[in-house]
Amino acid sequence: MGFVGLLGCVMLRITGGKVYDPANNINGTIQDVCMDNGRIVADVQGGRTINATGMVVFPGGVDIHTHVAGAALNFARAMTPENQRAAAKFMHTKTTRAGIGGPTPTTFATGYLYAGMGYTTVVEAAVPVLSAKHTHEELRDTPIVDKACCLLMANNEIVMDLLEKGETERAKDVVAWLIWAAKVYGVKAVNPGGVTAWKWGKDAKQVHEPVHGYNKVTPGKIIAELAKIVDELGLPHPMHLHCNNLGAPGNVATTLETMKVLEGNRAHMAHLQFHAYGGDDWHTFRSEATQIADYFNKHKNLTCDAGAVLFGNAVTITADGPWQHLLYQLTGRKWGNLDVENETGCGIVPYTYKGSNLVNAVQWAVGLELLLLIDDPWRVFLTTDHPNGACFWRYPEIIHLLMNADARKERVKKLPAKALSRIVLADLDRQYSLYEIAIITSAGPARALGLTQKGHLSVGADADIAIYNQNPDGEHMFRYPRYVIKAGEIVVEEGDIKNVRDGHEFIVKPQYDPKIEDFLKPVFQQQYTMSFENYPVELERVHGLQQVKIS
Amino acid sequence: MTCTLGEVKNRADFMIYWGGNPAECHPRHFTKYSLTQKGKFTPNGRKDRTMVLVDIRETPSAKAADVFLQIRPGKDFELIGILRALIKNQRVNEAMVAETGLPLSKLEELVAMMKAARFGVIFFGMGLSMTRGKHMNSAGVLMLAAEMNAFTKFVAMPMRGHGNVTGADVVMRYTTGYPFGVNLCRGYPRFNPGEFSTVDLLVRGDNDACLVLGADPGATMPQPAIDHLARIPTITLDPKVTHTSRLSRVHITTAATGISAPGTAYRMDEIPLPLRPALKSPYPTDEEVVRRIREAVARRPAWLPERNGEMVV
Repeated sequence: MGFVGLLGCVMLRITGGKVYDPANNINGTIQDVCMDNGRIVADVQGGRTINATGMVVFPGGVDIHTHVAGAALNFARAMTPENQRAAAKFMHTKTTRAGIGGPTPTTFATGYLYAGMGYTTVVEAAVPVLSAKHTHEELRDTPIVDKACCLLMANNEIVMDLLEKGETERAKDVVAWLIWAAKVYGVKAVNPGGVTAWKWGKDAKQVHEPVHGYNKVTPGKIIAELAKIVDELGLPHPMHLHCNNLGAPGNVATTLETMKVLEGNRAHMAHLQFHAYGGDDWHTFRSEATQIADYFNKHKNLTCDAGAVLFGNAVTITADGPWQHLLYQLTGRKWGNLDVENETGCGIVPYTYKGSNLVNAVQWAVGLELLLLIDDPWRVFLTTDHPNGACFWRYPEIIHLLMNADARKERVKKLPAKALSRIVLADLDRQYSLYEIAIITSAGPARALGLTQKGHLSVGADADIAIYNQNPDGEHMFRYPRYVIKAGEIVVEEGDIKNVRDGHEFIVKPQYDPKIEDFLKPVFQQQYTMSFENYPVELERVHGLQQVKIS
Repeated sequence: MTCTLGEVKNRADFMIYWGGNPAECHPRHFTKYSLTQKGKFTPNGRKDRTMVLVDIRETPSAKAADVFLQIRPGKDFELIGILRALIKNQRVNEAMVAETGLPLSKLEELVAMMKAARFGVIFFGMGLSMTRGKHMNSAGVLMLAAEMNAFTKFVAMPMRGHGNVTGADVVMRYTTGYPFGVNLCRGYPRFNPGEFSTVDLLVRGDNDACLVLGADPGATMPQPAIDHLARIPTITLDPKVTHTSRLSRVHITTAATGISAPGTAYRMDEIPLPLRPALKSPYPTDEEVVRRIREAVARRPAWLPERNGEMVV
């Protein structure tokens, strides 16, 4: 425990550790890090000192794209009791609540697992307004980590109807109103237009063809307008985009087309791995990571996260309903589908990535290829699109593969022979340094999210810190931090949860014309099934709320 | 494969109610969500929709239906299997069709209607999920709806009832990973319906105390379960005195949620709705009572042995 000084201030000094703070260009320098009252300070007098000699000091991890709370994930929990039964168990103790790990961990276990890995901030990437109350309830019960949500917007029919009529100004007000109604941080676009089409059993596969049921609205138009709206509203995080045609052979064309549409605006491309495939069908499936990375490297308006795949059990959960129907038909496994009125949908299919399967082998390689081929680590972040590509608690396995080209090449040798001609991974010699790992797991995502107090160790930043024993085995090193500090308090020590505190939830309030409610009310009456007054999330439902100022 | 009720309101042009009597059991369902509502793509309300009722007897809901199919009791699973075969143009055994009490021509008509729908929905009630076949019937209906998506958009939704049972289910899932039948005796959640479900625990007499919240097992459970409730210390929290209260050692009157206590209730499609009380109550809320019990329990020594002030796990 830290020394509790006057007024409950907790002072702590970390000394002797090699500090990796990329935001301040600190690359493994041995220096002290001091904190007081939850913030980094220049110096402290008194308090506890941690001797971190032989250890490395990182800013706490930031996960820019994960699915850890919400109606869809909770639906998945109901669908997969067999996973829960096989998963790690969390005992009820004096400090921790009971829970279950696995691909869809319970809320309390989610907090312990993230903190146990040195992560202190997570972004739930897909929240519908209609069930946002539920998401906030789950996040309230997700301890230790700080949280933020992205709101599903690219299939919102009120917004799409306005775009059809060319009323973009009004659409902007509606988007802003919805962001505040749901109490979220950013805007997410999933398979723009495709989920709406799925409500009639269709999909939207072409960027420039009208969405089923519309004449003028195309996926490209939705993407361009939403990205513009997000930039004009001045949201700290750019539009968070899941492109059309996820997972399909040859979808590289769609992804490149989409990136062209985004020129002139900021955007974050989510789980890019799932959007970088070539080939005409499953038999000719191949990696197009090189093509994507070439374009991406030249266009600085974009950031992305990897959405890497690891072999093993996963549960695919996405708002991309039509894709999930296809996956169900391909695998014959359980399929859950949940359409949300006027807003979005979601599909759930449990999935096992097999090393012996050609397609899965290529997917595994593509995630790593993107991380290695995109030259600026400040624009590509480590994710697995948890629990879609792999569970978030397996990130250390990916870190190891990134840091060690030999281990990677050894693993490539075990892939099916057919896969080797479809990937370029075996030719890549790049190895990530600890400095670069600190960027892709913390400093980079924090910057892309616009969370100015996260991902660095400058004076005034949140005192979220992970301390690891230095170890050539990256997997072991990053799986078991020696200490994890959240808001200046030691929460994890040698793998044990020592202290559980509640995290904050970040939200924004963009500006909108209050008269927009006069427009929304009658539309709402016609299209929804709850009263307008019950629709917005009440402020008191958001636990540990922290409103981030819009510049 | 399900959806929120607004999707039904806006899109459904074809619906099957199976093993339920919504006219009497969910009286607002027709008018608020499914049958008579005018939605975005169903501007004429009832005129834009076709409704089929499948049940073992002609209930008042049959009057609302365009087609009523009277099935023999206990033959739901068979009928589901036959429909799953028919939609895929597979051969069916005529003797088995006859067993359901419905002629093949009717079923073929039904399949044609299902396939012609733009957006179909099956609402299934306890007449399906709690009769012979039980969860296998529910699974069958969900499979039928899933497979219908190869032809057109189709969803299925259970007709749940009993206040906020959906809310309990939702919270159990995100805190323990399982919807019901959870045992925390080992310090972590275990799930085994049939072993850890309330009724099974009570009938076997496994538990030595019971806290009853928002339920009246004394009125609905089998006699051996009720006997056990009377034998052990049972505590009931309820706004009114129930059958269970009469068997309990302690009954604590609480404020009625939604009337005199605030809270959140989950609709049958798992959409949370805030409850705002219209009245004040002299009684504490359920939450307050449970919190105070928990605080009192926390003051007792821990149930696991301790070493150096920490529990030994």
